[in-house]
Amino acid sequence: MIDSAALISALGLLADPLTMLLLVVGIVLGLIIGILPGLGPPIAIALALPFTFYMDPVPSMVLLLGIYSAAIYGGSISAIAVGIPGTGAAIATVQDGHKMFKSGRGGEALGFSLTGSIIGGLFSAVCLALIAPLLADLAAKFGPREYLAISVFGLVVVVRVAGQSLSKGLLMGALGLFLTTWGLDELNGTERYTFGNYHFYEGLPLVPFLVGLFAVSEVLIGAERAAQRVDFDAASLKVKLPGLKTLVRMKDVIMRSSIIGTVIGIIPGEGAAVGAFFAYSEAKRRSKEPEKYGTGIPEGIVAPETANNATVGGALVPTLTLGVPGSPAAAVLLGALLIQGLTPGPKLFSEEPDLMYAIFIGLFLINILMLFIGLIAIRFAAQLIRVPTSVIVPTVLLLSFVGIYSVSNSFFNVGVLLGAGILGYVVRKLGYSIAPLSIGFVLGPILENALRQSLTIADGSVLEFFNTPIGLTIYAALALTILWGPLTARFKK
Amino acid sequence: MLSQKTANLVFITAILIASAYFAWVAEGFVTSGLLASSGLPSKFFPQLMLALMALCAGRVGYLYLVRGHAGEPELANVFASATEARQGLSMLAVAVLCYAIWRNFGFAPMAVLLGPISLLVMGVRNLFIYITVLALTAFITAVFIYGLGIQLL
Repeated sequence: MIDSAALISALGLLADPLTMLLLVVGIVLGLIIGILPGLGPPIAIALALPFTFYMDPVPSMVLLLGIYSAAIYGGSISAIAVGIPGTGAAIATVQDGHKMFKSGRGGEALGFSLTGSIIGGLFSAVCLALIAPLLADLAAKFGPREYLAISVFGLVVVVRVAGQSLSKGLLMGALGLFLTTWGLDELNGTERYTFGNYHFYEGLPLVPFLVGLFAVSEVLIGAERAAQRVDFDAASLKVKLPGLKTLVRMKDVIMRSSIIGTVIGIIPGEGAAVGAFFAYSEAKRRSKEPEKYGTGIPEGIVAPETANNATVGGALVPTLTLGVPGSPAAAVLLGALLIQGLTPGPKLFSEEPDLMYAIFIGLFLINILMLFIGLIAIRFAAQLIRVPTSVIVPTVLLLSFVGIYSVSNSFFNVGVLLGAGILGYVVRKLGYSIAPLSIGFVLGPILENALRQSLTIADGSVLEFFNTPIGLTIYAALALTILWGPLTARFKK
Repeated sequence: MLSQKTANLVFITAILIASAYFAWVAEGFVTSGLLASSGLPSKFFPQLMLALMALCAGRVGYLYLVRGHAGEPELANVFASATEARQGLSMLAVAVLCYAIWRNFGFAPMAVLLGPISLLVMGVRNLFIYITVLALTAFITAVFIYGLGIQLL
């Protein structure tokens, strides 16, 4: 049921000129950061986090959501123009997008990516508004066993899709979970790994850890390839939007990709890159001319771009209703809510209904405005592809240092940022993914409390974990996701 | 060049040693008062995670020893070239150095040195880039000091 008072209040908050300005600023910043190769949505949100410390919840969330959505879309611009995806989510777009650009159809390719992104984003915003309140109602009935099941589900899924080695993914997930045990035990106040330093009492701080893991590690990797230069023909960057007839012809691809992106976004831990790849392979599999994919066809751009932006709304569903991030970027967004003193979860819907409505409407507005800003700004923003990495590296490092320091005036937090950055750099160089590490770090407290409370309730019996219909359903879904691939392969034989 | 196999085996060894150390430290967690007898002990979850980490590390180590890789292309190196290694590791040292400068000598020396040292270790010789980075440093500092009112200096 719609809470009309909260809805009107949300509209009033969004109509504030400063909020609207931040919405536009968020889109522009997201576009810029998304275009710069290597700096994806989690980094974009992480760098903006310290600024939100001084804002009210609605303007801060609107700014970050604008950055999140636009950064995912921005990644496609460099993917199309120079064949280097600005974000992981745009890797699938490179194949057809860059081929179209090289054949002199760059403007068309950008038009398809912009249209796909906006349709996917709008679809997922509607799904978020419809699904999130229902899930929040259901989640209000959740106990420790259900939260345990969801946390395990999220972690296992992200481990499975992160990198080529399951053991490496699991090792990173466990490391992330372990690092959350530092500090005072939430259940009984025992000191754990505090090393006599009072800074550790509250554990390793979430925001510096995530900013370090994503931004600082990327800075260090960026420094390695600082000499690389990219260039492209900016003349063919005038966006040419597809006609209605073309969109109707591609309606199946658009619809399927929107659904795929939203569903994959909802699955805890999955990100935009997985959604884009899945949608691309589905579009290719169902096409009458699959051999044309990869040669520069519009469907090869529309499918991944629709899906990766559709993951935004999807990822917000578990983040807002359960406090379980739907993607690494949503994990950083969760940090933003914590900075505001808000605890993501079912109670957020009853305690802050106007904020929830503002998020739903804000996400919708962001996608509409992105169309106009995209049309105007792409040509100018794309020039940023030429910015040398050597300029980005010290700038992002300084911004991370100062940003984290400004949140709490604490050198300890800057130390955590640096430590997490070095850890992220080392593990990435050794072929590990940082996605399970970040998700493990966010899920750690939920998982530990849920596990310990569940074991206490069940008197130590692990079988009791399955003695709940919701929990059992989640475990069944988890088993299905794990066994789906091997089972279908067996049946095909 | 440093191979993935060697680097991963060193990393795995470090993980195993660290897991054993932290598991031993966890044995010393003491809960006092009435809470001591309620629920599972505080060491349970960290030790469970450390056991899982050790198990996975063991598996990864085994894969490297037996197959020479754990999913990624065989015999791949950690760094593509000596230049890449030098630039990446030097930048890491610069980040640590700048943090130390900030702690010991204040924000201004760190902010002034961060850009130029970073560009030097990345082998940049273009003066225009140095000026651009210093201008961006000044801009970021001004935004935080005058825009957000942060006491940096």
